[in-house]
Amino acid sequence: MKAHRVFAIALRFVLAMKYSLERLTDSFYWPIIDLFIWGLTSRYLQTVSGGNIKIMVGIISGLLFWLIVWRAQYEIGMNLLGDIWNRNLINIFVSPLNFWEWISAFVILGLVKAFLSFSFASVVAYFLYKVHVFIYGFYFVPFVILLLMTGWWIGFTIVGCILVIGRRVEAFAWTLGSLIIPFSAVYYPVSILPLWAQRIAHLIPTSYVFEAAREILHSGTYDFNKILTAFFLNLLYIVLSLLFMKKAFDRVMLNRGMVNIY
Amino acid sequence: MVVLSVSHLSKKFGDFIAVDDISFDLKEGEILGILGPNGAGKTTTIQMLLGVLRPDSGDVTYFGKEFNKHREEILEQVNFSSTYTNMPWELTVKENLTFISYLYTIEDRKKRVESIIKTFRLEEILNKQMNKLSAGQITRCNLAKGFINYPKVLLLDEPTASLDPEVAGFIRNFLLEERQKFQVSIILTSHNMAEVEEVCDRVIFINHGKVVADDTPDQLAKSIHTSHLELYVKDGLKRTIQFCEEQKKAHRIDGRYIVIDLKETEIPIFLKALMDLGIYYTEISIDKPSLEDYFLEVVGKKL
Repeated sequence: MKAHRVFAIALRFVLAMKYSLERLTDSFYWPIIDLFIWGLTSRYLQTVSGGNIKIMVGIISGLLFWLIVWRAQYEIGMNLLGDIWNRNLINIFVSPLNFWEWISAFVILGLVKAFLSFSFASVVAYFLYKVHVFIYGFYFVPFVILLLMTGWWIGFTIVGCILVIGRRVEAFAWTLGSLIIPFSAVYYPVSILPLWAQRIAHLIPTSYVFEAAREILHSGTYDFNKILTAFFLNLLYIVLSLLFMKKAFDRVMLNRGMVNIY
Repeated sequence: MVVLSVSHLSKKFGDFIAVDDISFDLKEGEILGILGPNGAGKTTTIQMLLGVLRPDSGDVTYFGKEFNKHREEILEQVNFSSTYTNMPWELTVKENLTFISYLYTIEDRKKRVESIIKTFRLEEILNKQMNKLSAGQITRCNLAKGFINYPKVLLLDEPTASLDPEVAGFIRNFLLEERQKFQVSIILTSHNMAEVEEVCDRVIFINHGKVVADDTPDQLAKSIHTSHLELYVKDGLKRTIQFCEEQKKAHRIDGRYIVIDLKETEIPIFLKALMDLGIYYTEISIDKPSLEDYFLEVVGKKL
């Protein structure tokens, strides 16, 4: 793997950002709007529930943590689409760049943008509601890693789907990630879900992360097995999604020809 | 020295055979034209040579190394430019060339980008976004991109399409100079037969996925025996047409001009016969067979 080639892809999308109001709003505008809506909603809930601050902290930190998953997956899917829309794939793959360098650039971009969006929204949340994510102490670090991992496998799955099915499912890039929100227990415990949904939630790594976050909020400690389970589930899904994406790439791009298709 | 060797390359899409057992070599410093009608298999062949399409069978070898096994090393020395692909629309010309330069191992990257900009006369559009450029300017940018990594082998798909004649001429001269200075080997596809005749040392003609001819443009043209004799007939046009019909010579009429298809050796005899018939013509021109005639004969239809 050559760093300058990964840098080339990252540079291409960083440069493109300044021309795209849409990408800037994705990074900063929507998080702010969400913070306003959910922040005020949770403040209201806090008032009617007798001033329980934990409700507000739980909802706001859930929103901030989900930003990490969202950014990580969104960058992977949207960057692939950016190259398809620009008919730029051929320019990239007639160069020595290999598939893994290409994907690494997307992952790094997702990481940087997740960090930027999360930091920005965290500062805004602190100023608006005096809620800060460091309330979770050192547990904050594994949570972020696990959420990034989830964002990556969702992103890889989206890329695989777009490659196999084609551009008619390009909306997956901004919709597929949302599919796991209800089962991730971002704002409510898994126990509140119907039984069938709880079964699904147990297969979703983020449900363990958000459950653990809530445990910390309420009792100051958490079940480490939840973190381990989330980690191994993420690892399994990353491997499977990478295999799926690579197979899709080989089958569609190399066997059918990327110039004809894209 | 052979820089690219293609051996028994084949590719099928479902039941359709796009490329059927193609073999050819490209020598150092050679400019090779790949010609053929639309759908003949030219683009499919080029895609396989670039590794963006996997062949069903056959081998591609660059610089004596198998492409499959040394892809990255080989692509450092190969590049591609096509009128039909784009660089990211939203980026400026300079941003595009800069990001693409990082895809390759180029020691003097900054200098190289600057020199390419100068060579392809891109200074005035340097800070323009790609989506604000004319078709000709985009083609020049695509060509600049193709030369960014000092390629030893360059694959060009319709490199001068959409360029005005002056710029197209400049590009053709540039290709010839690069070949002379750096021994760059070039594979070129084009529908501009005059361009292929001017630039290419050798031509491969592909039809229905097969190589049907592999020779110099001159030799291919010479394999067509028919020349075109054009006359402006002042007096006796009807008698000329009648004579052509009697002799079973194909001909076309345009006003008082008549174009007659004849073998080169038949022309003096034919002109003598017209003189004996008392036909009076004031203009005469003879077009020798060209690559285009060869193309038309093989393809069996007008371009």
